[in-house]
Amino acid sequence: MRCSSFVGHDEAKLSLLLNAIDPRCGGVLFVGEKGCGKSTLARSLRSILPSGTPFVELPLNVTDEALLGTIAIEDTLRTGARVFQHGLFSRAHGGVLFIDDVNLLSPEIVSLILEVQGRGENIVEREGLRMRHPASFILVASMYPEEGDLSPHLLDRFGMCAGFERLTDAGERMAVVRAAICQDQADSDLELTERIEAARKILPKVAVRDRFLEYIADICINYNVAGHRADLYLLAAARAHVAFKGNEDVTREDINTVASLVLMHRRRELQPPPDQQEEPPPEHNHEPPPDKQQEQQPEPPKNNHEDQEHDQPPKPHELPPQKEEVFAVGQQFRLKRIAFRKDRMERAASGRRTRTRARNRGGRYVKSVLRKNRDIAIDATLRAAAPFQSVRKRTDVVVINEEDFRYKRKERKMGHLAIFIVDGSGSMGAQKRMVAAKGAVQSLLIDCYQKRDTVAMIVFRKDRAEVVLEPTASVEFAARRLREIPVGGKTPLGAGLLEAYRLLERVGRKRPETRFLVILITDGRANQSVTGMPPDEEIARMATLMSEQPGIDIIVVDTEEKGRFTTIDRAASIASMLGADYYTIEDLKSDYLVDIVRKSTPEF
Amino acid sequence: MIFPFSAIVDQDEMKTGLILNVIDPSIGGLLIMGEKGTGKSTAVRALADLLPEIEAVKDCPFTCDPSGVLCSKCTEDLQNEGHLHPTRKKMRVVELPLGITEDRLVGTLDIEHAIKKGEKRFEPGILADANRNFLYVDEVNLLEDHIVDLLLDSAAMGVNTVEREGVSFVHPARFMLVGTMNPEEGDLRPQLLDRFGLCVGVTSLCDKNQRIEILRRRAAFDSNQDAFYKQWNGEQQKLSGRISAARSVVDSIPMDDGVLEKIVSVTASLKLDGHRADIVMMKTSRALAAFRGLSTIGSDEIRDAAWFALRHRLKRLPFEEIGAEHEKVTEALALI
Repeated sequence: MRCSSFVGHDEAKLSLLLNAIDPRCGGVLFVGEKGCGKSTLARSLRSILPSGTPFVELPLNVTDEALLGTIAIEDTLRTGARVFQHGLFSRAHGGVLFIDDVNLLSPEIVSLILEVQGRGENIVEREGLRMRHPASFILVASMYPEEGDLSPHLLDRFGMCAGFERLTDAGERMAVVRAAICQDQADSDLELTERIEAARKILPKVAVRDRFLEYIADICINYNVAGHRADLYLLAAARAHVAFKGNEDVTREDINTVASLVLMHRRRELQPPPDQQEEPPPEHNHEPPPDKQQEQQPEPPKNNHEDQEHDQPPKPHELPPQKEEVFAVGQQFRLKRIAFRKDRMERAASGRRTRTRARNRGGRYVKSVLRKNRDIAIDATLRAAAPFQSVRKRTDVVVINEEDFRYKRKERKMGHLAIFIVDGSGSMGAQKRMVAAKGAVQSLLIDCYQKRDTVAMIVFRKDRAEVVLEPTASVEFAARRLREIPVGGKTPLGAGLLEAYRLLERVGRKRPETRFLVILITDGRANQSVTGMPPDEEIARMATLMSEQPGIDIIVVDTEEKGRFTTIDRAASIASMLGADYYTIEDLKSDYLVDIVRKSTPEF
Repeated sequence: MIFPFSAIVDQDEMKTGLILNVIDPSIGGLLIMGEKGTGKSTAVRALADLLPEIEAVKDCPFTCDPSGVLCSKCTEDLQNEGHLHPTRKKMRVVELPLGITEDRLVGTLDIEHAIKKGEKRFEPGILADANRNFLYVDEVNLLEDHIVDLLLDSAAMGVNTVEREGVSFVHPARFMLVGTMNPEEGDLRPQLLDRFGLCVGVTSLCDKNQRIEILRRRAAFDSNQDAFYKQWNGEQQKLSGRISAARSVVDSIPMDDGVLEKIVSVTASLKLDGHRADIVMMKTSRALAAFRGLSTIGSDEIRDAAWFALRHRLKRLPFEEIGAEHEKVTEALALI
């Protein structure tokens, strides 16, 4: 489809025009629901780019070899000299690398893209090959955020970001259908292309006066963006916009027009004004260290006056604190090893906890092995065969015998994801259960740190559950989030499980080989449902859902102090519904836990 | 064309950390921690321009130091001919790409040579290039474990020993490891962390005028790189002159007992394990003194060196805030 026949989404269209005028605008990310034309519009960029500009699509299942380039089998065998087969990076040089559903890309591939794009050059040191070639390209991509998140690093590399709302205007919707039916197949978009060409000619003459540079810096400081890329992209976009209009002087107007495109994905949460904050918890008293990113600034505890429940009187035996409180992290303890159960699924993980082998062809080629699999390591095979070529009377092709074959061993860095579901309800405030719970989580985090797992954290309280920490490999970051968990309100345990289930699904879709450890920390006093079902029934339903997911281990940590008067262990019954292992905080401190885990994992 | 080092606005700590390693390569590298888009990679790549020439064996792919540790080939040549041919070579920044495979890191059998000649010959890898040069790993925390293991091995030994596919070879592999990382993306293994001589943190500049200056310089660089280079040539020359002057005097700066006592009093009060911290701090304060044109090490140099050398070595639980130790260091430094 031609760019100009595309109906609506003017901002997104503008972003493409600006990128076509000046690639220094840094590409664009389209964010929105499925089926609202993100990819169609992105692909229409081809029709307005100068002819000959590469537009390379990156498939989600791309391998390192296809991306970086690899050894060309035929030529190498024929000539006996190593021949490099160019990859996608090489083909995208000077143009656009387009990634549909970029958020589903595996983290290994993302890090390669970041590295090569940042350097503007692809350095190949693999499979016996050594070569480098220029690789500067802009990224154009689409994503549907509910399916997974994008690494903030990769996000930062996009010059712009445009949101796609579903069109609601009936006239516009009809126009979309009409445009889709009468698909004009023309590849060129003559009128627009001419304007873009004219703009490209003007571009070098476009000047920015100092006060507008100042204006750009002001905007970026106000938006509290991380790093300095925003400033640079904003400048580039404003200049391209001026050129598109046929002018030569950047005005405030131009900057304002493009600012939302450049800043939409960079804005960081700002601290609310102090009067909205609760009493600052003690942790926040000392100055944040200067060499930590400000990005990790704590989300302040939310004001709870409006949605504190009034309708239900608190039960007599567990008076919830009237105010939200942030409890300190309780005593940490040395935790004995928790091991994941080993399963027979072939995976591609190189975490510390379990070792599994690559199931598919993804993952990184780490070394060649003799044991047969589907991926022949050409370089290693050649090295094995090379010294015998004269003996084997090589004529025109390299002679390879059965015994020369070597295979690739592939590994993935990503190992396990530990999801902490933390009860933040009012009852956790009683007898400082939260203090002990935080101590337990902290100890478990240390364990995750040593095993190099990724962690995520969900807190449920009041009427909902929230992912307070998206999966991250930075356990330090997780520990900081832990300190900030406030307590107060009811116990929507079902909501917590539901949120965990959604997270499992999202991550599982992106990295099917991930193993999950779900750690539910609660006193088990569920009293709020999200579906209208009785809380217990809701939990039972969620438990069934969870237990149907493959590759999950669940642990329930009971935070209730077991005194003389405790009659039932609510958390224990939840654990049995989930098919989970049940521990009290006391258990976690002892060797007992290890024994239990060992019992189910004889390999360890 | 690379953005000139001296045109990078502010970020003095990061720039000094790199320069100190040029002045005294035995400091052992630099880890740059900081958020995205703060010019970490730009600075490391720009360093290449300022690097001095070093003496090396002619045509040796391992940049062997004629008066230092030699590779298998140079050892053989020295035995056969009785002498080596020295030449001058510019120090380099060698990049280690994330997608590297083991064979290209450590080196392996030269396939083509083997096919054509039927002989086994060693083909050098990245570790060979890195000898006596900077080895730069962007996003070092994303490096695969098995590559990290190999790096740690040769960093600890200072040599790379290859025994694979029927080739045996030994060559020196002493490099200044430079890594950049964004701590949000994951932590670094403690053994690897300790391998970095120094560590600095970078954050975005919040001063408006500095931000404007970044924009202005970047715009000028983009619109005419040659002109921008010419404009900054003077500064670049001045800086590389300062660096080579410092290199020539650094060894003659005395490390008297008074200085050593002060350093040890700092590291002892912080209860640091091992002696690497003391040694690095010593070398760093000496390099700082040389860079500042001083003939002796003063308390200022020791204090400044402490921040470079100790930031990543302080003992703390994995999640203890860095703030707490900040105070401890400040306290320890107040005493000297």
